[in-house]
Amino acid sequence: MKEGLIEFDSHVFSLDTIKKTLYRFSDKCSFDIAMKDNIITVVFQAKTEEDWIGKIKNEVLDQDLRDIISKETENIRTLILANAFSNTGLIE
Amino acid sequence: MSLSAKKFKLIESFDQATDGNYQLLPARFVALDDNRYLLSNEVGEFLVISRDQLRNYVKKQVPKYSAYYYDLKSKGFLIDKDSNVAVDLLALKYRTKAQRISQFTGLHIFVVTLSCDYSCQYCQVSRQANNDPTFNMSEKTADKALDFVFRSPSRVVKIEFQGGEPLLNFNLIRYIVTTGKTRNAQYKKDLQFVICTNLSLLTEEVLNFCMEHNICLSTSLDGPEWLHNANRPRSGKNGYQLTIEGIKKAQSVLGKNSIGALMTTTEKSLPNVQSIIDTYLENNLNSIFLRPISPYGFAVKTRQAYKYDVDQWFEFYKKGLHYIIEVNKQGYHFIESYTQIILNKLFSPFATGYVDLQSPCGAAISAIVYNYDGDIYASDESRMLAEMGDKKFRLGNVNDGYEHIMLSDILLDTLESTLSESIPMCNDCGFLPYCGTDPVYHYATQGDVVGNKALSGFCSKNMKIFRHIITLLEDDMEARNILLSWIFYD
Repeated sequence: MKEGLIEFDSHVFSLDTIKKTLYRFSDKCSFDIAMKDNIITVVFQAKTEEDWIGKIKNEVLDQDLRDIISKETENIRTLILANAFSNTGLIE
Repeated sequence: MSLSAKKFKLIESFDQATDGNYQLLPARFVALDDNRYLLSNEVGEFLVISRDQLRNYVKKQVPKYSAYYYDLKSKGFLIDKDSNVAVDLLALKYRTKAQRISQFTGLHIFVVTLSCDYSCQYCQVSRQANNDPTFNMSEKTADKALDFVFRSPSRVVKIEFQGGEPLLNFNLIRYIVTTGKTRNAQYKKDLQFVICTNLSLLTEEVLNFCMEHNICLSTSLDGPEWLHNANRPRSGKNGYQLTIEGIKKAQSVLGKNSIGALMTTTEKSLPNVQSIIDTYLENNLNSIFLRPISPYGFAVKTRQAYKYDVDQWFEFYKKGLHYIIEVNKQGYHFIESYTQIILNKLFSPFATGYVDLQSPCGAAISAIVYNYDGDIYASDESRMLAEMGDKKFRLGNVNDGYEHIMLSDILLDTLESTLSESIPMCNDCGFLPYCGTDPVYHYATQGDVVGNKALSGFCSKNMKIFRHIITLLEDDMEARNILLSWIFYD
């Protein structure tokens, strides 16, 4: 069992981004998450000896990019779907 | 009457966009390997890009006149001042992809009997050994099931006969086909029939009936004789011989394309993928479905379902696909069926009809099952679960009425829960447009119809396959050309 601790600045990465990241590793690790003074602290216990800190940090970066895309494209996605389903009677 | 000339805009007006001034369109991404990502959009258009390219795209740092910019724009990942036609095109393609939902229930499975003359260790349907009429569907039940068939909006309807061994109740198959075709004169649907059979009872009478009514056959062939008989024992120990004889008879009378076969991977299969494929080639079959064992029925009771894990099965699949590609290089057009389904999803917006990889799930809207006793199930797997004693996905009975079944809470709740866009990990996965949900699998393995995808064998298997196929398409041009030749368009 490997244990470790990572800290994230909540001004840089949102709590949702961190949680989504950790969810992806839930088959291999368990986590304790805390936030204090804008610092998100993640303590993990992993089943195997791997570079979990590196993997988690990289995935946080990826999740952050997903967050950017999601926020910027939310309205246009709604427009595309509304357009797709117009005139079908599927939307009342 | 004079015609006034139309004035075109100056060409410069189509070149107004500047570097860094584009708008992102909805997109997802997933890592393919240590260096590359798959970027995909709502309709499944995709690009394979590096990490730097991904970051540049999101941060709007892709130079306007670069090849990468044009790739992103042409595939619907960005719009700029010069053109926003991608918005309408994405809507049109999304509508095409979603069309299967309005044209629902194309596959109607009739379980005409639960009796079977085989004793397969991994039997998913918990067959019954004796030809007990209690386990046969009646004509009355079949008539009511046909009522459901013709309420389906789908223009193309396939009736698939399953069991047990459905030919043990051939008289009912005959009844359903003839009655169905008579009733179809009013509805004019494209009505097709398939019998899923072990072929042991494939008499001349059955073959002639199949020929008369254009009925296709689907059978199981697990590999060379020793493996097939070990997996699928039959009293008389002649299961393989009967299967091969049946395949040859069917090919001779009905045509080569009227019979297909698939295999189920057991622990014994794992080191033998090449000889399994050779068995198919030797018997003039066009394709193979390298299918893992499902966690239902006798496969759970006999522990067959737990004798190998996803990684072991994936090695089997990879070796099998490699061998099949080598066979194709020798000039023999032979397909791995699951790979073909994935390729169609990668390269076209049209539905593949494959029930187990859809979002929302295919329960009742792609396929519906009428059991021998009249009970209706949301899917084939739902029926298998019921035979294990869990009727969670039983929708009702043929006596309950169409609206009662199709508007039931269990069905609507299941459909609502299985939209990939609403599921953690799925909702931002780059493979979402090509993947699907399997509520019965997740309920059977995790006790929840959604499940935690990090723990899901379904997710693990499919992600490995997607990565492998896309990497082949990118890195091996010869394999790419062969794989692209497998794509069909409906």
